[in-house]
Amino acid sequence: MSSVFRILLRRLGISVIVLIGVSMLIFAIARVIPGDPARIALGPNATAEQVAAIRTEMHLDEPIVAQYGHFVTDVLRGDLGTSLYTNRPVTQDIVEFLPATLELVIFAGLLMVALGLPLGILAARHRARWPDHVVRVLTLLTVSAPSFVWAVILMLVFAFYLPLFPVAGRIDDSYEIARVTGFLTVDTLIAGRFDAFLDVLHHLVLPAVALALSGIGQAARLTRANMVETYDKPYIEMAQAYGFAPGRIARRYAFKPSLIPSLTIIGLDFAAMLGNAFLVEAVFAWPGLSRYGVAVILRKDLNAIMGTVLVIALTFLIINIIVDLLIAFLNPRIRHSTRAAT
Amino acid sequence: MTDLLDIRGLTLGFRGLNGYTEVLHGIDLSIARGERVALVGESGSGKSVTARIILGLLQETRTARVAGRVNFDGRDISSMRARPRAALRGTDMSMIFQDPTSSLNPTFTIGRQFAEVMRRREAGLSQKACEARATAMLEEVSIPDPARVLSAYPFQLSGGMNQRVMIAMALVNNPKLLLADEPGTALDVSVQAQTLTLMQDLVARHNTAVLLISHNLGVVREFADRVYVIYRGRIVETGPTAAIFDRPGHAYTRALMAAVPRITGAGLPEVPEVSDDFLAPMVTHPEAT
Amino acid sequence: MTRALRILASNPLSLIGLILVSGIVLAALLAPWIAPFPTHNSAVIDFAHANQAPTARNWMGTDLVGRDIFSRILYAYRISLGLGIVVLVIATPIGTVVGLLAGYLGGWTESVLMRLVDVFLSIPPLVLAIAVLGVLEPTLTNAMIAVTVMWWPWYARLVYSIARSEREEGYVLAAEVIGAPTPHIVFREILPNCLPAIITKMTLDMGFVIIIASSLSFLGLGVQPPTPDLGSMVAEGARYLPDSLWMTVFPGLAILLAVFGFNLLGDGLREVLGVDE
Repeated sequence: MSSVFRILLRRLGISVIVLIGVSMLIFAIARVIPGDPARIALGPNATAEQVAAIRTEMHLDEPIVAQYGHFVTDVLRGDLGTSLYTNRPVTQDIVEFLPATLELVIFAGLLMVALGLPLGILAARHRARWPDHVVRVLTLLTVSAPSFVWAVILMLVFAFYLPLFPVAGRIDDSYEIARVTGFLTVDTLIAGRFDAFLDVLHHLVLPAVALALSGIGQAARLTRANMVETYDKPYIEMAQAYGFAPGRIARRYAFKPSLIPSLTIIGLDFAAMLGNAFLVEAVFAWPGLSRYGVAVILRKDLNAIMGTVLVIALTFLIINIIVDLLIAFLNPRIRHSTRAAT
Repeated sequence: MTDLLDIRGLTLGFRGLNGYTEVLHGIDLSIARGERVALVGESGSGKSVTARIILGLLQETRTARVAGRVNFDGRDISSMRARPRAALRGTDMSMIFQDPTSSLNPTFTIGRQFAEVMRRREAGLSQKACEARATAMLEEVSIPDPARVLSAYPFQLSGGMNQRVMIAMALVNNPKLLLADEPGTALDVSVQAQTLTLMQDLVARHNTAVLLISHNLGVVREFADRVYVIYRGRIVETGPTAAIFDRPGHAYTRALMAAVPRITGAGLPEVPEVSDDFLAPMVTHPEAT
Repeated sequence: MTRALRILASNPLSLIGLILVSGIVLAALLAPWIAPFPTHNSAVIDFAHANQAPTARNWMGTDLVGRDIFSRILYAYRISLGLGIVVLVIATPIGTVVGLLAGYLGGWTESVLMRLVDVFLSIPPLVLAIAVLGVLEPTLTNAMIAVTVMWWPWYARLVYSIARSEREEGYVLAAEVIGAPTPHIVFREILPNCLPAIITKMTLDMGFVIIIASSLSFLGLGVQPPTPDLGSMVAEGARYLPDSLWMTVFPGLAILLAVFGFNLLGDGLREVLGVDE
C-alpha cells in the first residue's frame, strides 16, 4: 500500500506543477484579449474615471508579474472574481452549475466503461471474424460524429418520434427537491423521493448516451488493440494449453493485462467529455457548467471564463490522479515495487 | 495394453497468402504409459507444432489443416469436437513452456493460477484445499518457502523458481501425458540441468509419460527412453536412446550429433545446409527387449 | 506507393474510406461548379422557397430563408477541409519539432518541454479551444488559431514517445559515434522513423479537426453566418426540431460521412504503414 501512497504523492507533485502552468496559461489567454479588460467589464458607456477606478481595483496598472500574483492569491482564497453575466461571485456560479455537469459526465463515463470494454473484449476474442468486423464498423461510426450530432439524432428518434425519453432538462418541474449536493441522483435519494430519482435517471439517459457514444467507440477500439497484442503472449498459450474456455481466457487472462495500458487513454477520453458536455448540454438544455461557460464566453465575461476553465482543468487533473491510482492498484508490478514506477 | 499416445499419418498444412504449405508430411509417433520420449530436431522442423496438435490447439486455428489419426488414451482426438478436446487439456495432458516467467500471467498470484489449474480437475475445490495441494506440490519440486511463493507474482520470482512452479503446476492434476517444449531454454545452463533432473524425478514418481521436445541432444540423451529425430516435417530416425546414440543410422542424425557441443550446453547446433542424404528413408532401430 | 495503394484497395473498408474522402475533396473543390445554387453560400434570401422539405429542386430541402441545404453543405466542406489542412500544416511541424527535441535531447529540455505539453493536455481539448476563442473574436482565422493551439501538443507527445525509444537504437548510436551533428541525427535519422505514425495520425486527425471545428461553430464560436458551416447549420436547424428536421439531419450526416471517410482511410493507412494504435 505504501508504494501506492508514494505514487499518489508523486502524482500530486506533478499536478501542482501542471496546475501552476495551467493558471499561467489561462492568465496569458486572458491578457492577450484585444482591448482594455476594464473597459470591457464596464461597457461602452462608462466614464473615464470609472474605468480608472476599476483599473486600480483589477490591479491593471501594476506590472504583469504582480497581476499574476494577485490572480493566484485570489484563486487560492477561492475568489474567482465577479461574473458580469450573473452579477454574482464566479465561485458561487460554479458551485451551482458544476454538479449538473459532473453528474452527466460521470454517467457517460460509466456507460463508456460498461459498454466499450465488453465490446472490445468481444472483438478481440473473435478477432478477424465477423463480430470483430461488426464492432469495428460500429465503433468507427460512433467516433465519427461530434456528440452534438448524436445528441440531435437521439433526441429526434427517442424523444420526438418514439417519445420514450424527455426532450430536455434534468428533472420534471413538478418535483421539488431540496438542494444538498447539487447531484440530483443523490439529492432525490436524500429526500427519500424514489419516484423523483427514477425521473432524474430518465432524464439522464439520452444526454449521457450522446456524450458517451464516441468514448464507447474509443474504449472498445483501444481494448481490442491491446488485447490482440496480449493474445500473442506466452501466458495466453499456456492458458489455452490448460484448456480454459475461450471466454474465460478473454475475460480473465487477456483482458486484465490489456486494461492497464488502456486505462490512461480511457481516462483522457473520460476527461474529454468535460469538453463535449458543452455540446450536449446545449442540445438538451442541461443547466450545467458548460452551458454557463458558453454564455459567459459569448459575453466576454473574463472572470467567469477563467474560473470555468480553471475548474475544468482541476477536475481533469483529479480524474487523471484517480486513473493513475487505479492503474497502480491493478498492476501488481507497480503495487509491489519498492520504488515508485514512472 | 495400448499405447497412451498413438499418432498415425499426421499431416499439417497452413493456408496462407501464397496458397497451401504443408509442414508435417505424415508422422507416426507413439508413447507408452509412463514412457519418456524425445522429439529432436532443429527449429522449424515441425516439433513444436506436433505438440500443439496433440494438445488440440492448432486444430482450433482457422488457417491450419490437420489430417491423420491422433489416439490419446484410447480415444481418437483428431475427430473430437473442440469442447471435449479442451476438457482433456490441463487434466489428462499438460504442457511446460520454454520461458517460464512470461508463460505465467503477470497479473495474478501464483496461488491464484494454481487454484485455476486445480479447478480444471475438480471444479468445486475450496480455497483451503487448493492451497494445501499447491503447497504439497511446491514442496515436491523443492521450493523451500511455498507460502511465500503462492502469494507472489511471477515477476517477483527468479526464472528458476518460476520454472519449478510451472513444473509443479503441470503435474498437480496428475496428467497422463506431459508435453515439455524446450523446457528451460530461456534460462541459464545450470538451471536447465536442475530442471531436467527435477522433471525426471517427478514424472517417475507420478508415472507420467513425457514427450520432450528439444534441439539439444545432450538433454535428450540424459532424459529420454526413446527418441524420434524429425527433419523438415518427416521422422527420419527412431529407436531406443542408447541405440540411436551408439549407431546413428541416418545421415541427418549423424550430422546433428557431429554438431552438438560436448557439454550439456545450450545454443542451437550448427547443422550443415540441406544435403540429399537427409532426405533418405527413415531408419528404425528395433526395440530393446 | 502503388503497392500501398493496392493493399489499401484490397481492404473493402479502406477502399470505402478512400472513395468517401476523394468524393468529398472533389465535391469541395468543385463546389462553385457542381452546387445547384452556387450563390447560396452567402446571405441570399428566397422566401418563396423557405423552410421546404427535400424536393426534386432542393434535394436536401431549404433553410429558413430559402437557401438550398445541399449547396451550402458543399461549400461548408470547403471551409472544414481548408481549416483542417491549415491546422494540421501548422500544428504538425510545431509538435514534431518539440517532440523530437524533448525525446532526443532528454534532460532539462525534456522536462521543460514535456511539462509544457502536460499543461496544454490537462485542459480538455475542446475547452482550451473554447477558452482561446472566448477572448478572441469568433472568426474563421481565430478558430484556426484556437484549434492549432490545442492540437500541437498531441503531436509532441506522439513524436516524443517514438523519439525517446529510437534514441537508444543502434543506428542512432552509430551516427553519434561517427560524430554526426545533432540536427542531422534528429531530422535525418530519427524523424524518418516517426513519419509513418505522423502521417497516420494526420489522416485520422483530419476527421477530428472537422469534429472540433464544427463543434466550435455549433456553439457559435467559429465561422460566422452567412458563411455556411456544418456545425452552425446543425445549431440553426436544431431550434426547429422536430418539424424541419432536414435542416439538422443533413448537415449532421455530412459531418458523419466526412469524418467516417477519414477514419476508414486512416485505419487502412495504419495497417499499410504498420503503425500501432
